[in-house]
Amino acid sequence: MRSPRTGRFALGLTIVAVPLVLALLGPVFAGEPGARAASFTLGEGHWLGTDFVGRDVWRQVLHGGRPVVLTALAATALAYLVALPVGLLSALTRLRWLEELLMRPLDVLLAVPSLLLILLAATVFSPGAVGLALLVALANVPDAARLVRAAAAEAAARPAVEALRMQGETWWRMAVGYVGRSMLRTLAADAGTRLTGVLYLVATAAFLGVGVAPDAADWAVMVDRNRTGLFVQPWAVVVPAMLIVALTTGTNLLFDAALDKGGRRGPRRTEKEARP
Amino acid sequence: MKHEYEKGTSGDVGVGIGVHADVDTGVGPVAEIRDLRVVVDGRAIVDGVSLRVLPGRVTALIGASGSGKTTTGLALLGEYPADALVTGDVRVEAGGLVGYVPQHPAAALNPARRVSALLTDIARARVRHLPVRQRRAAARERVLRALAEAQLPDAETLSRRYPHQLSGGQQQRVVLAQALLLGARVIVADEPTTGQDALTKGRIVERFRAVAARGIAVVLLSHDLDVVSALADEVVVLRAGRVVESGPAQRVRSSPRHEWTRELFGGQVESPDPDESASRPGASARGPLGTRTESPDPDPDEPTGQPGPRIHRLPHARTEVPDPDEPTGRPGVRARGPLNRHTESRDPDGRTARTGQPVLRVRGLTARHRDGARGTAVVLRAPALDLYPGRSLAVVGRSGSGKTTLARCVAGLHRDHDGEILLDGTPLPRSLRDRSRTQLAAVQYVFQDAHAAFDEHRPVVHQVARTAVRLRGTDPDTATREALTTLAGLGLPEELAHRHPGRLSGGELQRAALARALLARPRVLVCDEITSGLDTVTRRGILDVLTTLVRGRDDLSLVLITHDLDTAALAHRIAVLDAGELVEQGPAEVVLTTPAHPFTASLVRTTTRLTAGTVT
Repeated sequence: MRSPRTGRFALGLTIVAVPLVLALLGPVFAGEPGARAASFTLGEGHWLGTDFVGRDVWRQVLHGGRPVVLTALAATALAYLVALPVGLLSALTRLRWLEELLMRPLDVLLAVPSLLLILLAATVFSPGAVGLALLVALANVPDAARLVRAAAAEAAARPAVEALRMQGETWWRMAVGYVGRSMLRTLAADAGTRLTGVLYLVATAAFLGVGVAPDAADWAVMVDRNRTGLFVQPWAVVVPAMLIVALTTGTNLLFDAALDKGGRRGPRRTEKEARP
Repeated sequence: MKHEYEKGTSGDVGVGIGVHADVDTGVGPVAEIRDLRVVVDGRAIVDGVSLRVLPGRVTALIGASGSGKTTTGLALLGEYPADALVTGDVRVEAGGLVGYVPQHPAAALNPARRVSALLTDIARARVRHLPVRQRRAAARERVLRALAEAQLPDAETLSRRYPHQLSGGQQQRVVLAQALLLGARVIVADEPTTGQDALTKGRIVERFRAVAARGIAVVLLSHDLDVVSALADEVVVLRAGRVVESGPAQRVRSSPRHEWTRELFGGQVESPDPDESASRPGASARGPLGTRTESPDPDPDEPTGQPGPRIHRLPHARTEVPDPDEPTGRPGVRARGPLNRHTESRDPDGRTARTGQPVLRVRGLTARHRDGARGTAVVLRAPALDLYPGRSLAVVGRSGSGKTTLARCVAGLHRDHDGEILLDGTPLPRSLRDRSRTQLAAVQYVFQDAHAAFDEHRPVVHQVARTAVRLRGTDPDTATREALTTLAGLGLPEELAHRHPGRLSGGELQRAALARALLARPRVLVCDEITSGLDTVTRRGILDVLTTLVRGRDDLSLVLITHDLDTAALAHRIAVLDAGELVEQGPAEVVLTTPAHPFTASLVRTTTRLTAGTVT
């Protein structure tokens, strides 16, 4: 019964491990930069060829993961850090004004396209990697908060919460212990897709030159700058692009496997004798 | 596994409904199950079940929950649980479509489409043979006919509504109409009466009887023995996936051969017929609690024309609060329930409620529900209700009568109300959140759906123990020990208590829910329909627990919210709600034997008739 789930776990882990390991440990193994060669060539000691300014692609790949992955992970974590309390509070409070106060400003933010928000901020502040993470997180807070509120409101309306109130339970136990736990599946599913969206947004911002230098070692920047030579030296585009794909696909597989606890679920109570 | 649809031998198959006017013997079965065995994960859910479904007859599959009723019923539709190993034979007559009316009909109706659309979809497929121009009118005509056959009056208005705008009963009839439109020859009805009051049950019985009269075979899956008695021609008793007994309903009921059948029918078997009991006016209490297998039905006496001593209700007794012990003081009147007898025996001790102050008073309660975008609708008006220590009050009414709202107001779960709820003369805050720990502990509430009221991630005993920790400040270890003792006292052994809620049955969880509330040492315990949706044997177990609670504790008062007069008969006093109005209240035996309000009278009459199996 357990093997399919373990299999999916292993598959997700393998897929996600490649870009993660490269991103985290890559810079350690990258070594000193070699002399520049001609642009978009293959061979001559560069086993993945050279990029648009003649740098070794493999070395760029090793260096280029950290900014993308770290920014994306930080931004996702940051978005939930804000969205979770806001969503939980507005779902569990019975004070309408508090709910309005928490949710309405976010609705305004929701109306602004996230890329526009980032580009606007970039023209004013010219943010670095940290700034980019903050901006991407900000763009993700409104819908994450709405999702949390919706999931929490559903769980909070169950008799179990009323039963907890009847027991005089603390807010923390109700909100985190029960409501939070009940919506874990929804949140995990959302986190998987959100991380993908954030990666996409970070990569796009990097692609547009926000938060990174135009020639920086960055997977997203690599895809952008090297696409002119796509048909001459495809590896400079394909490898970083595949790594980004592997990161998102692997994350989603991993979340799916984690959520699919115990294989099939469903009403199995019919099997049991209901004798008092 | 063969699932065969035999080639048709008769021409009339599939023509529609209403062709079989006369139902006779000698007609072959429309569907037949032979030696069905369904195994899931190495466990046989259904084991060697054989069944013949005859046209125009009602075949009832009865048994406790988990006995394989639904699995057998669904087998007729060719549906089996996922990953099930199925052996045996299921034959359905050619073209003999099988309709299914599920327990929760709302789940079978697309919420985004109007009733007319849902029905026309099916009707359209049935009028393909007609020229295009006539199809529309023909489909419409079929829809209206099916609605009429399913006894949905005012079909024009109803068919414009969405499923969620219909009541549960109406939804059920729409699903039935779908099955009729399809030209189903067999209709499988899964627990059609669960959670319904006596009046509605009576209507459901009539409806299925009318369906059977059209020559359609009805397979009734039910644990409601009243309904089975009133409706079924053939009864198949299932236990743990096996047929323990089968035969004509009359025979199975009057002389059950298997011990399990006897236990299942428990109450009904020994029940005297109405005439006999009417000739024993003033019969004393019906026997000790321990043997409460006797007669859960309310007094079968006709409410009028009764010789012998009667209680003459004072006209004012309905709105004002009569003395809770009124009947016990009257000569010639005996308590009819075991509880009341106990009260009687308690009288000499001077511990009666008469001397005490009411623990809970409800004064001028008007509860509202938010109705749509703006505006509110008043759903309940209860001018005055009193609850004395050590006594129990049953609140009876049909679904939607506001009885749950009343309970929720008392428990602080429904804030939107005027009027006062006084605990020992002190008004209780409207909302739970504003009540102190003592106030919370004093009024506890047990929810209808025990599965929904527990956190599925934590073992039951931990959740039960939290009450003592939070409301009484007990330390966790002591609380756990106390919880285990209380659970064991209510019939839930330690091994079960350490399980997660998903691995307990409805009856077991309801006991745990009672334990959770009792651990607060409440003064008032509100039980909201805690026995509905349970099978007879389980329900009797829970009712026994409740009776023991009322009898054993002088400091505990019970509020029983129920639509079931059998349950209500346990209580000392009964309050009757109809459409949000408190129409009658008084001592249980008075309300049950001489109902003053026409609504109560009809409720009592229907229950009696249902129990006697003579619904006409």
